[in-house]
Amino acid sequence: MKPCGLSACDNCPTPHACGLHQLGIGCRGNVLGVQGDPDLRRRLLEMGFCNGASVEVVRRAPLGDPIEFRLRGYHLSLREEQARFVQIVPVG
Amino acid sequence: MSSCCQTLAEPTRGTAKLTVALAGNPNSGKTTLFNALTGLRQKVANYPGVTVEKKTGRCKLPDGSVADIIDLPGTYSLISRSPDEHVAMEVLRGLRPDTARPDVVIVVVDASNLQRNLYLVSQLIELGRPLVVALNMIDIAERRGLRVSAETLQRELGVPVIPVVGYKRKGIAELKAAILKAGVAPMPDWPLPQAMKEEVLLVGGGLAILDSPEQLPGVASARFSSTARLDGYRAMAERLLIGDRAGDLKNVAAREPVSSLLNSATSRLQTLGIDPMQADVEAHYRWIEGVAQRVASAGQQTPEAPVLSYEPKRTLTQRVDAILIHKVWGLLVFALIMGALFVTLFWLAQPIMDALQSAIKALGVWTTTHLSDGPLKDLLNDGIFAGVGAVVVFVPQIALLFFFLAILEDSGYLARAAFLMDRLLANAGLHGKSFIPLLSSFACAIPGIMATRTIENRRERLATILVAPFMSCSARLPVYTLLIGAFFASFGPLRQAGIMLACYALGIVAAAGTAWLFKRTLTGGPATSFILELPTYKIPQASQVARQVWMNTRAFLTKAGTTIFCLSVILWAMAYYPRLPENLSAQAKAAALPAAKLQVKLQTYNPKSPEESKLLAESSPAGNKLRESLVADLSPQEQSQADEIAGQKVAAAQAEYSVSGRLGHLMEPALRPLGYDWKIGIGLVSAFAAREVFVSSMGIVYSVGNVEDGKTADLSKAMRADTYSSGPRAGKPVWTPIVAVSLLVWFVLAMQCMSTFAVVRRETGGWRWPIFMLVYMNALAYVVALLVYQVGTRVFV
Repeated sequence: MKPCGLSACDNCPTPHACGLHQLGIGCRGNVLGVQGDPDLRRRLLEMGFCNGASVEVVRRAPLGDPIEFRLRGYHLSLREEQARFVQIVPVG
Repeated sequence: MSSCCQTLAEPTRGTAKLTVALAGNPNSGKTTLFNALTGLRQKVANYPGVTVEKKTGRCKLPDGSVADIIDLPGTYSLISRSPDEHVAMEVLRGLRPDTARPDVVIVVVDASNLQRNLYLVSQLIELGRPLVVALNMIDIAERRGLRVSAETLQRELGVPVIPVVGYKRKGIAELKAAILKAGVAPMPDWPLPQAMKEEVLLVGGGLAILDSPEQLPGVASARFSSTARLDGYRAMAERLLIGDRAGDLKNVAAREPVSSLLNSATSRLQTLGIDPMQADVEAHYRWIEGVAQRVASAGQQTPEAPVLSYEPKRTLTQRVDAILIHKVWGLLVFALIMGALFVTLFWLAQPIMDALQSAIKALGVWTTTHLSDGPLKDLLNDGIFAGVGAVVVFVPQIALLFFFLAILEDSGYLARAAFLMDRLLANAGLHGKSFIPLLSSFACAIPGIMATRTIENRRERLATILVAPFMSCSARLPVYTLLIGAFFASFGPLRQAGIMLACYALGIVAAAGTAWLFKRTLTGGPATSFILELPTYKIPQASQVARQVWMNTRAFLTKAGTTIFCLSVILWAMAYYPRLPENLSAQAKAAALPAAKLQVKLQTYNPKSPEESKLLAESSPAGNKLRESLVADLSPQEQSQADEIAGQKVAAAQAEYSVSGRLGHLMEPALRPLGYDWKIGIGLVSAFAAREVFVSSMGIVYSVGNVEDGKTADLSKAMRADTYSSGPRAGKPVWTPIVAVSLLVWFVLAMQCMSTFAVVRRETGGWRWPIFMLVYMNALAYVVALLVYQVGTRVFV
C-alpha cells in the first residue's frame, strides 16, 4: 500500500485531514467526518463513510472524474464534487 | 443478544394468504432469488402515481398455502431519497393503499459485502415485522478468503438466516420453510451516545402515551408482547429524532406530548454537539462492525488477520477492472462493446424489421383477398395491419437492446460503462448511465428511451428521456438522403456526407444544450449525488437474460403498443377521409389523362425531325394537333400505363382533399416563414406516423408513384421542378437549397414521432412529459428552421 505522501494535500485545512478527493491514487485514509447537505451526508454515512472506516482510492476514471474508492470490502465511485465532503485522515 | 427466534410469528395458516416482501441492496442478487421463488408466475405493473415498477409473484409454501411475493426495488436504506426507495419504504411500512402490508419480510444479504448489506437489515429490524435473512453469495465471500457463518448470524440477529445460491436454486426450499417460521427480531441496543439514548427513551415515552391503534397504527398493530411494543416506541422515537417524517410519522411529530419532547430533545442534543442523524447511522454501523466481526472469519489464507481490517489481496474483479476501466484499454473495450451494440441495433435489426413488416403486410393482403375494394379493405390493410406493423417493427430493436442491457447489467459492466462516461455527460447534467440510452437513440428513440430504466435517479432519467429524440434516428436517414440528394447534388459525395454529419452534430448539440438547461430549471434543485456502486463481476445467467428480454418486450407491446396502434389508425383515417367525391375524382382523372398518355407515348416515340420535336413542345394549334394524333393510337399496354399515371394524379388530389391535406393547407401560413408550402405540410403531418413516411407521402403528393426501396430520382426531379402556382411567389421554385436546409433542421430538432410520444407516456407515467416534449422540441425546431430560412434567403439570394 502506497502512503499518501501528502503531495496532493497542500490545500488541506489542517495538516492532518483533507477532503477525500485530494487523496492520491492508491492512498488510503480513515474517515473523520462527512459534510454537505443533509441528504448527501446521510447517504454517504449510510454507504459506510463513518466510524473512522478505512477508505482506499482505487483509481480515477479516464477523464479524471469520477473516483473509485474501496471501503468496508466493496467498491463505489463518487464524483469529485461529492468526495470533497468526506473528511479523511490520510494513513502514511 | 437473545437466542434465536424467541418471538415467533404465529404463521397465518389456512386460507389466509401471506404477503411476503423481498427487500435487499441493489446488486445483492434479489431479482434472481425472486425468480427462483416465483418461477414464471409473475406480474409486472406500476405502482399507481409513480413510475416505479411493481413486480409480484406467487410461491407455494411447504404447508400448502400460497404466498404473494412482492419484489421491492433495490435499496440501500429505508430513509427514502429516490422514488424507488420511497416505494420500498412505503410498502414495508404498510403505507401504500394499493399494496397489502407484508406479513413477512425476506431481506437478501450479500455475504461478500456484509457490512453495507447489514445496514439495511438493521433498519428492517427496527421495522418490527417478522424477518427472514437470505444469505447470498457466500461462495464469492469464501473465494475472497472470508467465511461467513449463517448459524452465527442467525444467533446474532434472532431471526432465521438461510444460506442461498439464487441462480443454482440452492436453499430455496429452506427459505420457503423459513417464511413460516419468521420471527420479529429483538431490537439490539444500538451503541448510541448516552445522551441520545436518553432522548430516545423520553420521546418513546411520549409515543407510549399517544399509543392506540388509531393514533399509532405502525406500532400498535406490530406485535402484542410488551418487549415488541417497547422496541416499536424506541424505533419510532429514533426515526423522529433523526428527522424522518415519512408517511406514518407526519402527524405523530406534531402531536403533544411528542412535539414538545422532540423540540427539547433536539435543542439539548444540539448543545451537546450531537447530530442525531450521524449518531444514528454511526451507532448502527458500530453494531454492524461487531456482528460482522463475529460472523465472518478469515479463511485459511490469513487465519490471523482481524476480519474488519482484512482486505483480500486482489480479487478477480479487481484484476478485470485493471483492464476494463484502464485509461487506454478500458476505453478501447468500451468502444468495441458500444460499437457492437450500435451495429446490432442499426444494421442487424434492420433486415428482421423489414421482414416482420412485409410479413404483416402480406398477411393483411392475404386476409383481405376476398374483400372487394373499398373503405373496409383499405381500413384493414392500411389501417389495422399497418398499425400492427407499426408496433411490432420495434420489437427486434427492443429485444436486441435488452439482450445487451441484461448482459451488461447482470455482468456488472454497466456500472463500469457509467463510470467511464460520467465525466462527459455530467457537464450536460446527465449521468454516466445516460450513455447507452443516447447511443441507442441513434438507431431509434424507442429502445433508447426504454433503456433509461437503468438510470436510478429520476431527475437524470427524465432529462435523458427528454433529450434522447434529438439523436438522429435511422428513420430520419431516408429524409436526409432525399433532401441532400435532391438539392445538393452538385456538392459531391464528400461534402454531402459533411451535411449529413452536420445534421447528427446539430442533434447532439441540441441535446447537450437542452439537458444543460433542464438541469438548471426544470429538473433542477440541489446537485444530484452520483453514488455508483461498482459491483463484483458475475457471469450473466441465460435464463435471467431471456426473462429480461421477454418482460421488457411484453411491457412495450402491451403498454406502449396499444397507444402506437391507435395513433397509427387515426393517422391513416386522417389521410383517407374525407374521400374525394366521385365526380371530382373522375374530373381529376380526365384532366390528367391526356398529359399522361402523351408522357407514355413520348417514352418510345422519336420525333422524325427537329421541327417536329419543336412543334411537340409548342402550345400552338398545330402542336396540339400533333400531340392529339400521337396519343390517338395507344397500345393496351400503353393505355394502362397512362391510366396508372393518371391514377397517381387522382391519389395526389385525394391526399390534398383528406384531413391531412386540409391540415397542410391550414398550416401553410405558419409554415411559409420557414419556406414550406402546403405539400410539405402534408408531409410533416404524415411524418408523425414515422419520420421516413415523409418520403412516401411526398411521392404521393408529387404523383411519382412508388418511392420505396430508395427509388427517389423521380421524386427529386419533381420536387426540383415544382413552382408556386399562385401568390406572391408564383412561378418561383418551391424548393431551394435553403428550403432543404431549413427542412433538414426541422427534421433534426422536431418531435414528430407518435411512437416516441407513446413510449415517453409509458415511461414517465402520464401525459405531462410527452406533451411537454412535443411542445418544446417543436418550438425549438420552428425557431431554428425559421432563423435558417430567413437569414439564409437574405444572405444567399
